[in-house]
Amino acid sequence: MKCKKIHNKLIFFLDGDLSSNEEKQIKDHLTECPDCAAFADHLKKTLNVIQSEKSPEVNPFFYTRLKAKIEDQAAASQKLHSWISLEKILQPVFFTLLLTAGIYAGYKVAEPENAQVDQLSYNEDQIIPYLDEMQVETIETFLMDE
Amino acid sequence: MNEAEIIQNLKKGDEKAFRVLVDKYRQLVVNTCFGLVHNIEDAEDIAQEVFIEVFRSISDFRGESKISTWLYRIAVNRSLNYIRDNKRRKWFTSIEDTAKSKKTIPHDVHNENYHDTNREIENKQRAEILHKAIDGLPKNQKIAFTLNKYENLSYKEISEVMLLSVSSVESLIHRAKKNLQKKLYAFYKNNWI
Repeated sequence: MKCKKIHNKLIFFLDGDLSSNEEKQIKDHLTECPDCAAFADHLKKTLNVIQSEKSPEVNPFFYTRLKAKIEDQAAASQKLHSWISLEKILQPVFFTLLLTAGIYAGYKVAEPENAQVDQLSYNEDQIIPYLDEMQVETIETFLMDE
Repeated sequence: MNEAEIIQNLKKGDEKAFRVLVDKYRQLVVNTCFGLVHNIEDAEDIAQEVFIEVFRSISDFRGESKISTWLYRIAVNRSLNYIRDNKRRKWFTSIEDTAKSKKTIPHDVHNENYHDTNREIENKQRAEILHKAIDGLPKNQKIAFTLNKYENLSYKEISEVMLLSVSSVESLIHRAKKNLQKKLYAFYKNNWI
């Protein structure tokens, strides 16, 4: 078996996933090829890390910390609830005030102006003649002048 | 207390039942989390979140699967969420950087602790290399491989946790091993020879 083929199967060989025939072929190759044997050794040691890491020792105060965390979260949740119920009262009051202010502002803006000017009150008839001279001079008079 | 009693009492809010549940399953949960996040402190934090979630949502548990299956599922999801959330905070060091640090091992052969220290450093580096190789696997391959290797779950048990068929789990683990081997060989070829 060539080295490349061996390398592709080494992890399965180490895990015992191969058929007995393939296992024997690989074993025979490893006894003859020092490079493949070195890699197999490296691979085995690296994968063995998993065995050493399995079932790490758990903190003896795990449950105490867990209970404290649950109680803290319950207290925080209660505080949040009281804020939410206060918000339920404050929000409608705020929007009512805002609406009232908006209506009052709109009323003030739309209020008609009281435009009483005593001294200078111009009658429409008195102004327009100065603007429109055609009213004073007829067309026939205008043409006859030319 | 058997499993059914634990669930029944938990649903009533019995703290004793919760204590029994935690004592019985904390190693399982911490181990699963550790297999995915590779840090014991983080694994314990995540495990606590798992049990808090169980405490909060026990009324939703219908008993269609075993408690352990449910716990595995929550532990895996929480761990993956943790990894995703902390990806940006983690400073990525490549496998090659880890190998380069091997060359800085002090070669003080007169130090009587030299060989123990060297072996310890080598083991630590192997662990880092392996963790990075596992972390580089696609999500489902990583989950299946971790549950199989760290928790010794059978393909059937893994299929129940991941809600996949047994053949899918078999395929996932096969591909995970192939990918791991490729990564480890590439690293070995470039750095350790």
